[in-house]
Amino acid sequence: MSQVSNRVFAKSWMIGVYAFLYLPIITLIFFSFNDSRLVTVWSHASLRWYGALVNDSDLISAVLLSLEIAFLSALMSVFFGTFSAFALHRYTRFKGRTLLSSMASTPLVMPDVIVGLSLLLMLVSIQHWLGFPQRGLFTILLGHALLGTAYANVVVTSRLREMDIRLEEAAMDLGCKPFQVFKLVTFPLLIPALVSAFLLTFTLSFDDVVLSSFLSGPGYSTMPMVIFSRARLGLNPTINAVATVTIVVVSAAVIASSLYQSHQERKRKREMALAYSNKNS
Amino acid sequence: MATAPNDEKQSAPKEVLLRVDSLSKIYDGAVKAVDDVSLTVNRGEIFGLLGGSGCGKSTLLRMLAGFETPTKGKIFLEGQDITNLPPHQRPINMMFQSYALFPHLSVWENIAFGLKRDGMPKDEIAERVDKMLSLVQLGKYPKRKPHQLSGGQQQRVALARSLAKRPKLLLLDEPLGALDKKLRETTQLELVNIIEEVGVTCVLVTHDQEEAMTMASRIAVMSEGYFLQVGFPEEVYEIPNSRQVADFIGNVNMFEGVIDEDEPDHVTVNCEDCIQYVGHGISCSPGQLVSVAIRPEKILLSQTKPDDKYNWVEGEIIEIVYFGANSTYHLKLTSGKVIKVQEINTTRELTCWRTWGAKAYAHWNDMAMIVLTQ
Ligand SMILES: Nc1ncnc2c1ncn2[C@@H]1O[C@H](COP(=O)(O)OP(=O)(O)OP(=O)(O)O)[C@@H](O)[C@H]1O
Ligand SMILES: [Mg+2]
Repeated sequence: MSQVSNRVFAKSWMIGVYAFLYLPIITLIFFSFNDSRLVTVWSHASLRWYGALVNDSDLISAVLLSLEIAFLSALMSVFFGTFSAFALHRYTRFKGRTLLSSMASTPLVMPDVIVGLSLLLMLVSIQHWLGFPQRGLFTILLGHALLGTAYANVVVTSRLREMDIRLEEAAMDLGCKPFQVFKLVTFPLLIPALVSAFLLTFTLSFDDVVLSSFLSGPGYSTMPMVIFSRARLGLNPTINAVATVTIVVVSAAVIASSLYQSHQERKRKREMALAYSNKNS
Repeated sequence: MATAPNDEKQSAPKEVLLRVDSLSKIYDGAVKAVDDVSLTVNRGEIFGLLGGSGCGKSTLLRMLAGFETPTKGKIFLEGQDITNLPPHQRPINMMFQSYALFPHLSVWENIAFGLKRDGMPKDEIAERVDKMLSLVQLGKYPKRKPHQLSGGQQQRVALARSLAKRPKLLLLDEPLGALDKKLRETTQLELVNIIEEVGVTCVLVTHDQEEAMTMASRIAVMSEGYFLQVGFPEEVYEIPNSRQVADFIGNVNMFEGVIDEDEPDHVTVNCEDCIQYVGHGISCSPGQLVSVAIRPEKILLSQTKPDDKYNWVEGEIIEIVYFGANSTYHLKLTSGKVIKVQEINTTRELTCWRTWGAKAYAHWNDMAMIVLTQ
C-alpha cells in the first residue's frame, strides 16, 4: 500500500519539478508564435516576430557579438586555465602555492558584481594613464576570460589530478623530450577535459550580463544585455523569438553530442565484444 | 635463473654493465629513502632488489631510470657517468608496476612508441613491433586498446614496450605485482625465458622473496634504504649475514643463547631450550650473546627421544599447516617458545602420529644452523 502511495508521490514530485523547469520555456516558445503585440494575450499563430527578428539589426548584431565574445573568451580561458592548472598541479614545491591555488578559484565564489566593479575601476584608471583600452569588445573579453580561466582551471586540475603521472614518466623513459611528452601523452589525455572546459566557459560567457554591463562601452551590447534592457522597457515578442532560436540551437547541440557519445559507447562495446569472441575462438 | 651460479662464475668472464657508487636519496632533507648504496650489475644478469614496503627499492630504481636525481653518489653505465642524464637520453627502459600503458594508443602503437621517438624507418619499426608481439605471444591483438586486454596480456604488452628499444638495462618494478598468485607463478618463468632470449640485463624490484629467488641470479636484501646483504639466492638463504636477513628470507627459527665452548672445529651455544652443537668454528668469544637460526625444513620430527646430548628439543604439536606436498608443524617447547618444523609428506597415510596435541621431539644435525652475531 505504502509502496503505491510512495510511487504516486515520487511521480507527482517529479512532474512538479519538471513542470517548474520547463513550463516557462514552453510558454515562451508558444508565445513566440503569437501574432499579437501583447506578450501574454494569444491572438493567432504567425511567424511575424521571427520576421521582425531578421530585420532587427540591433538584436542580430548583439547575438553575433555574444557569439564572438563567447568563442574567443572560451579559447582564452581554456588556454590560460590549462597553464595555471599545470603550474599549480605539477610544481608542488614553491612558496605560496597553497595561497595561489586557492586564489585561482576565488573568482568562482566572488559575486560577479564585485568582480565587474573592480575590473571596471582598474580599467578606468589604466585608461586614464595610458589612454587605452577603450571599453568595448576587448574589455568584455578580458572580464569573461578572467572568470572563465578560473573555471577552466578547476576542470583541468581535476583531470590532471586523476591522471597517472607514470604515463608521462613512461613517455620520458621511451625517449620523449619534455615537450613531446605533453604533445603525445598529456594533451591527448586532456582533450575531453579541454572540450568540457571550453563548453562550460563558452556558456558562461554567452550567458553573462553582469560583467558585460560593467565592462562594455558604447556600441557594444551583448545579446543578454539587449534582452535585459528591452525587457525593462516592457516585454517585446521579438525577444521570445530570439530566445526560441537560442533554445533550439542549444538543444540541437546537446542532443547531437549525447547521440554522438552513445554511438561511441556502442561502438566501443561492439569492439570489446568482438575482441573477446576472437579470444575464445 | 638461479641455477649453478658458480659454474657461470668460472666460464664467462664477468663484465660490469652498471656500477652505482654510494648513491643516496634524501627527501625533504629528512627522509633517507636510499642511504649510501653501492652495487655492480654484470652484463646478462638479473639482479633482484628485495625488501619490505618503503625500504627504498622504487626510489633506487627511479634514480637508475632518471626520474629522481640522487642527493649524492654516481651511476655508471658501461663506465660512462649517466648520473645527470635525463631519462630520455638513457639507454635504459623501465617496466612499470601498474604497466603505465598509454590508454589512447593501441597495443601496436604502445610498442612502437619508443621506436618512433628514435626516428627509426617505418618498415623497421613494423618489423620490430611484430617481432615483439610474437615474442610475448600477442600477435593476435595489435589493434586492441589496453582496456580491452586482461591483466596478464597488459603485463606482456608492457614488457614488449620496454624491450622494443633493445635497452642496455631493463628495470622491472614489481613486474608481477598486479597478477593473481596462479598467474604469477607461470609468468615468472615465462618472463625469465623472454629476458634470457633477448639477453638483456635486468634490475628487478620485488617484495616477494620467492619471486626474487626464482627469477634473479643475484639478490640484494634491502632495509631502510641500505643493503643488508648481496649475494646469490642460495647464499642469502643458507648463509644470511644477520638476523634481519635470515628473518626476511624464508622462515626461520631463532634461538638466543650464549657461547660456551669456542673451539676451532666446533662451538657450543647454551640456549634456554637446548644446547646447540655447531660442527664448525666461528669467530666469536665465550660468553658472547648470539642467535642460532635454523630453517624449518632442516629439522626432523620424531616420536622417540633422540640419543644425543645436543641439538634436540621436546614439545607438543599445537598446529599443523597442511600444504599438500608438505606440512608445517608448530611445536610448543617447554619454555613456551614455538618453533616451526617442515616435513615432506612422503606417504599417503592419513593417520599418523603427528597430530594435534601429540608429544614430539625435534632434532637437527650440527651443520643445519647458522650462528648470527649481528
Ligand atoms: N616523492 C617522495 N617524497 C618524500 N618521500 C618519499 C617520496 N617517495 C618515496 N618517499 C619515501 O621514501 C621511502 C622509500 O620509498 P620507496 O617508494 O622507494 O619504497 P619501496 O621500497 O618501493 O616500497 P614499496 O614496496 O611499498 O613500493 C619511503 O619511506 C617513502 O615514504
Ligand atoms: Mg615501490
